[in-house]
Amino acid sequence: MRDMTLGQYYPADSFTHKLDPRVKLLLVIAFIVMVFLVKNLIAYSAIILCVVIGTLVSRIPLIKVLKSIKGIIFLVLFTAVLNLIFHKGETVLWSWWRITISVEGIFFSLKMALRLILLVAGTTLLTYTTTPTGLTDGMESLMYPLKLIKVPTHDIAVIMSIALRFIPILSEEVDKIMMAQKARGASFDTGGIVKRAKALLPVLIPLFVSAFRRADELALALDARCYNATPNRTRYQVMKLSYRDVIAVLGTAVFLVSVIALNMNFWGAYVPPENLWWLFS
Amino acid sequence: MNDIYSPERGAGAHEIIKVENVSYDYVSGEQVSRGVRGVSLTVRKGEFVVLLGHNGSGKSTLAKLLNGFIVPAEGKVTVEGIDTRDDKRIYELRAKVGMVFQNADNQMVASVIENDIAFGPENLGVPRDEIEKRISWALDAVNMSEHRRRSPNKLSGGQKQRIAIAAILAMYPDVLILDESTAMLDPKGRGEIMETISRLNKEKGLTVILITHYMDEAIAADRIFVMNEGRIIKEGKPREVFSDTEKIAEAKLELPVASRISAELRRAGLDIPFALTDEELAEGLCRLK
Repeated sequence: MRDMTLGQYYPADSFTHKLDPRVKLLLVIAFIVMVFLVKNLIAYSAIILCVVIGTLVSRIPLIKVLKSIKGIIFLVLFTAVLNLIFHKGETVLWSWWRITISVEGIFFSLKMALRLILLVAGTTLLTYTTTPTGLTDGMESLMYPLKLIKVPTHDIAVIMSIALRFIPILSEEVDKIMMAQKARGASFDTGGIVKRAKALLPVLIPLFVSAFRRADELALALDARCYNATPNRTRYQVMKLSYRDVIAVLGTAVFLVSVIALNMNFWGAYVPPENLWWLFS
Repeated sequence: MNDIYSPERGAGAHEIIKVENVSYDYVSGEQVSRGVRGVSLTVRKGEFVVLLGHNGSGKSTLAKLLNGFIVPAEGKVTVEGIDTRDDKRIYELRAKVGMVFQNADNQMVASVIENDIAFGPENLGVPRDEIEKRISWALDAVNMSEHRRRSPNKLSGGQKQRIAIAAILAMYPDVLILDESTAMLDPKGRGEIMETISRLNKEKGLTVILITHYMDEAIAADRIFVMNEGRIIKEGKPREVFSDTEKIAEAKLELPVASRISAELRRAGLDIPFALTDEELAEGLCRLK
């Protein structure tokens, strides 16, 4: 928990780090859509290539990416098993009661697992290469159309920024409270799930009390710094598009087109070989 | 860049804050708890003023009255002629009277120091290149320039509080109020803050109002106001105030060790001057025949 001072941000001086946060946000959205559209394994290989290139360009250690995947491994396995036993396929290998395992089911659950892993690996590229301030500024800027219909986009951005700022502070506070409770004989790592959950209650209450107290002082501090003083607020951090953003957009567009082409089997241009059907289904 | 504050100071300087016979009580439902009663004071430009008082003496209430967080029930508070009741000029007033609070962590809004310092000027609509200048100036003023692009989370308590001060300085306030800003710090952190604010006051001519219950922080002040039960019970230069041991006891304050020893020795009949610091006490003792 200690090293989450800047959210997930991994400081480095790379092509991706220098991209405009707005562009990165849009590219990630395009990436997510792409991952959800794709059906066959050949197209998936193109997406994997896309993520690998992205990671290399961002100069993020592979171990960091693997770590982020580790966080969702339980979810991946859980959905894979569910898909495996409940997917209805034609080539049934084994069946008992309502559970059937088919060849199609194996591929389906494999693809779903791959889909989740790629989603996380792709989106963490964004959080690893963008500062929290960059993210909130980018989101505020992208929400501009909402501002026209009187949605308080700046307030939303400030709320996000404050939330990111207070995550490490509150997690430190949790540690302190837990230590204080342990010093008085509380135990958080014994007993069943129910007992452990109950043991957390005496941690949550002081945490909430402290959070509200902090919120009080923060509200005063915001006022003292003239928050909402003028509608003509200026910004210190300016976002500018550069040639890098053009390259990134073009590169992703190439991938997007090729993934769609692979996904649709080049619009049915040829019939896949009989023994490779699983690559194209 | 050093002289955004004019060197005008001392008795001839103009009065920047005027508090005239102000009373304020906290009312919640039926319950009324005392804030301040019949307080009057003035602060002149370039002064270093300390409000001393025990918990519940009304010193923080007085601070909140000075920048319009609360408005007086009776009496009047003006800053550079602006009445704190004037809703239309409230932000102008708050930009003039910057306030730093107790817990630095609760005053920061951004995860990178320079962005946090930019927040105040941004809110005031200061142009971008000007904000850039202000950030450099403010960080330099608190000796934290090398931390500009870092996260505030890894800093020590004293360093965080210096960043909080820089964040206020970047709004170019006329007056800096520190509301118990040293209370949560260790002695080292307190030392850092005291050094920073006395330097800002001496070198840049910034008007400083320090609110505290530590008497040793008041030694360097131009003037001290001692508060008890919502009233100012003593006002004057440090030596005058410290040597009035009766009033100090009434306000439930604790004299610095050197002052306490010298006061006891004087009472015991020794001929030594009343000392504010350890050095003065040592000198007084050495001169004894």
